[in-house]
Amino acid sequence: MNRHEKRHLAATSLAFAALLIPWRHAGAETVTAADNARQIVDEAQKRTTSKSERYEGLLQTFEASGKTSEKRWTFERIGSHGESKSVIRFVAPAEVKGVALLIVNHPDRASDQWMWTPSIERDRRIAIQDRSTRFFGTDFSFEDLEERDVSQYNYTLLGEEAIGGAACWKIRSIPKPGRSSQYTKSIAWIRKDNYAYARVDLYVDDHIVRKLENSSISSVQGIWTARETTMTDLRRGSITRLALDHVEYNLPLKEDRFTLQGIRQQ
Amino acid sequence: MILLRLISWPYFRKHQLRTLLTTAGIVLGVAVFVGMHTANQSVLVAFSETVDRIAGKTELQVTAGETGFGEDVLDRVQSASTVRVAVPVIEAVVDSNIKGQGNLLVLGTDMTGDRSLRDYDLESADEAIVADPLVFLAQPDSLILSKAFAERNHLAVGDRLRLGTVDGQKAFTIRGITKASGLASAFGGNLAIMDIYAAQKMFGRGRTFDRIDLAVKPGVTLADCEHELATLLGPGFQIQPPASRTQQFEAVLKGYSTMVNVSSAFALFIGMFIIYNSFAIAVTQRRSEIGILRALGATQAQIRWLFLGESAALGLLGSFAGLAAGVLIARAIESSVSTIVADVYYVTQRAEEVASNPLLLGLAVAIGIATSLAAAAIPARSAARVDPVRALHKGAYQLLSDRESRTRAMLAGAVGVVSLVCLAAAGSRLVFYAGYALAVVAVPVLLGPVLSLGLARTIRPVLKWVWPVEGALAADSLIQTPRRTSATVIALTLSLALVVGFSGMARASYGSIIDWMNATFNPDLFVSPTPGFNIQTTRFPATMASELAAIPGVGRVQMFRNGRVMFRKAPVTILAIEMSSVAQTARRQPVAGNADEMYRRAAAGEGLIVSNNLAELQRVRLGDVIEVPAPYGLLRLPIVGIIVDYSDQQGTILMDRSVFVKYWHDDSVRDFRVYVAPGATVSEVRQRILERYAGRRQVFVLVNSDLKRYILKIAGQWFGLTSVQVAVAVLVAILGIANTVTVSIIDRRREIGVLQAVGALRGQIRRTIWIEALSVGAIGLMLGFALGAVNLYYILEIVHRDLIGTRLDYQFPLTTVLTLVPTILGAALLAAIWPAESAVRGSLVEALEYE
Repeated sequence: MNRHEKRHLAATSLAFAALLIPWRHAGAETVTAADNARQIVDEAQKRTTSKSERYEGLLQTFEASGKTSEKRWTFERIGSHGESKSVIRFVAPAEVKGVALLIVNHPDRASDQWMWTPSIERDRRIAIQDRSTRFFGTDFSFEDLEERDVSQYNYTLLGEEAIGGAACWKIRSIPKPGRSSQYTKSIAWIRKDNYAYARVDLYVDDHIVRKLENSSISSVQGIWTARETTMTDLRRGSITRLALDHVEYNLPLKEDRFTLQGIRQQ
Repeated sequence: MILLRLISWPYFRKHQLRTLLTTAGIVLGVAVFVGMHTANQSVLVAFSETVDRIAGKTELQVTAGETGFGEDVLDRVQSASTVRVAVPVIEAVVDSNIKGQGNLLVLGTDMTGDRSLRDYDLESADEAIVADPLVFLAQPDSLILSKAFAERNHLAVGDRLRLGTVDGQKAFTIRGITKASGLASAFGGNLAIMDIYAAQKMFGRGRTFDRIDLAVKPGVTLADCEHELATLLGPGFQIQPPASRTQQFEAVLKGYSTMVNVSSAFALFIGMFIIYNSFAIAVTQRRSEIGILRALGATQAQIRWLFLGESAALGLLGSFAGLAAGVLIARAIESSVSTIVADVYYVTQRAEEVASNPLLLGLAVAIGIATSLAAAAIPARSAARVDPVRALHKGAYQLLSDRESRTRAMLAGAVGVVSLVCLAAAGSRLVFYAGYALAVVAVPVLLGPVLSLGLARTIRPVLKWVWPVEGALAADSLIQTPRRTSATVIALTLSLALVVGFSGMARASYGSIIDWMNATFNPDLFVSPTPGFNIQTTRFPATMASELAAIPGVGRVQMFRNGRVMFRKAPVTILAIEMSSVAQTARRQPVAGNADEMYRRAAAGEGLIVSNNLAELQRVRLGDVIEVPAPYGLLRLPIVGIIVDYSDQQGTILMDRSVFVKYWHDDSVRDFRVYVAPGATVSEVRQRILERYAGRRQVFVLVNSDLKRYILKIAGQWFGLTSVQVAVAVLVAILGIANTVTVSIIDRRREIGVLQAVGALRGQIRRTIWIEALSVGAIGLMLGFALGAVNLYYILEIVHRDLIGTRLDYQFPLTTVLTLVPTILGAALLAAIWPAESAVRGSLVEALEYE
């Protein structure tokens, strides 16, 4: 791993930025005295910086009833760390082809989101006033699409635990007063070797409601990226799996692609 | 209680038919009261339940009357600090295209945020509700159906359902089914949900919403939120809890409710007379019995309570029977009421079940008993005052002394004068209605016996001339018993007065409506997105105007848009029309203002035209500057003309289309009015329009006569109530006359026996009884028509003062009167058949031994 790669080590990068941005980490060797939870998270965020990102995703949802559904999309992002703009564009199945979602993140408030529906040639502002609702039938919620600013949480290092044979820090984060979230807390397992988030448990009133697990973590252009993410909704018993392909970072993407005009025209 | 058991019960058992007739009086009154109110209430409850069920957890709703508003309002509402969640809604009523299933209410919502307010069961354990929410949003043909509707029509997820849209018939894909409870049971279960943005496109709603449903943040009071939104949005919006929509609906139905109240009050009053009649007869029948009781030491109070107890018992019995009959009536007329409400008030709902309100039923029983007691009060009083000695003198009590006649006439004259004074000085509603009650109830009650006697004496020579024996006998029977006859005559008179009054109003309204219709609706063709005009939820885009104008043979196209808004807390209709064009095609002569000036200023957006009923109801005059709250500002313009218009019972405000577009940000069109160019034929142009839009748009093209027929049909439905009143009048005639004739026969049993003994033929006896019944009917008809003429005057005054603010022409309903004559006489004859047969077939020996 060269120095450039080390600077861009990251875990998974996908639309579900809220869950993913804090899990991007620098290489383990660059971190010292990582016994401080906030430092670990800060460092992770700092090292996820990339100017842009693009990938093709396959989203599979497995309902408790046995029903499955599958969608494919392309994801593009410019900027990072709470000031990014992203566009998700569905490419399959045919019924949803062309539907696009523009997400404009803000460091200090909830993101703005618009949806473009080509069949009626309409864009709509998605006012996610109740952000705990599911994201279009997946096991992610709309809140999970937002990027989080690490300063909006209090962190506690709970100890160390191995996940999948990899040593991890176990860190609890609780939203600071005034920061609204459907989750009362989350517990994350961050790998010591590459600072990738191996697992995140999301709680509501001391009950785990969702569980996110990252796997197939590999380096892409020096950024550690989870190629597969699984979100389990423990209340519904359903699972959503996201697989990433053709991941690219720091590619030239035009700013005007990340506007309402942009999503209408593509 | 002992007296009731020992005296009353045997009497009732012996006179079962009369007891039945007495009870029938109260059954009739209570049944009509319960039936009409329950049907009315069922429609209200259906509306209210639909509002409640659709509202879900909604705490406040933002509306701008029924016109809707632009999408930008949503951002303003969502930005309010007191609002937790705010979601837009549009509603459209469409034909389900399934035989017998009627309309479907399509609720357009933004599913991405709406689930915070409404429970679609999408998040519940039932995962089959919506297969894929993203597909649902991405495909504009997506529909969620209520389980009830889906099951009724054997529809499942994946099936297609064809619905009428602004772009023609479209096949919608059922992508979800909601459970039967809550939201899914709104609109009688005929509910479909679709994405609001797809619904906008499908139903030609542009970028507008009907309303915004919202919930407030925890810890915030509704008043705080209302205040913040009122400040943020301005006066053009109403911010109210969902239940307020029901109140608005009730306000819209004010005219109809008044009609129902008047009709049921009359029915009760008429029922009261039937009971009064029966008890008055019973008292006279039982005079000797009462005399004996009094001689044995029974007090006056005991006798009075005996009769009141009887009436209370019969009242209770009749009330319960009336409740059952009322519910049956409600069930029978509910769909008609629903149709009237939809057609007249443009509020479509589905009243699937009869909503029997326990309070209403309790009230009906109480009213039934009270009416029965009130009706029996006078007979009970006279029973208590029976002189034991005079009680044996048969017949004298039925006579009307000259002194009593004079007193009654003088009193009636005095009451008549008071009623005239009330009418002349009727500044307040109380004084006016008091005068009405005196003129239409007190005067006939006082004069009834006198006039009955007088008319019986008048017709005696005629009857004698036609039927020398039978005619004279029948007339004498009436002359000797004016009290017995008068109660039936008064009941019949009141009943007929009601029919004449309402028929006259209907006739006057018809006349006015036809005049207005001919002056206003003169376009050759009406192009509408719906087959009728009662559904307002689908509209055309304005761009269609130029398309229509380009069709060969089309001479002129006018865009028409209407909607109900709140004006001074009253729901009124606004009509947005192209004023300068209308001035050339359907120029109206104002009742206040100058036509040229009116159209010029209105077309320039410098003034508003109001209907005469709005001017009356809201007390506004020509030149007054009125303020109409609109979503994009307070529309403040002077009244430049007042015209006769029957579009809305609560009033109409007409404005130029440009004013509407400016203040409502809505250029959609409810319908186009097309004038055919010289040389072209209406049928050809109609065909071209249909061909132009075949498969592209849902277009219904009505020719002028179709529209006029449609309007008259609605007017016919509205005045269909008159037929209920005619039915009541006929029932009254049958019950009252049957009662009178039965008692007359019993009274004259010995006389009839003697007649038979000296050789009178059965046919002669039979004819005597028939003639007596026909005479009662004829006297009732004469007095009923006379009182009806007075009643009609008062009803037209009520229409003017309290209902629609319009003064209708006084036209006596001659056709109705001519129909009533054979109907009532036929009913009278019918009522006399059984008593006559029983008289001629009875034992001669028993008859001669009677008394």
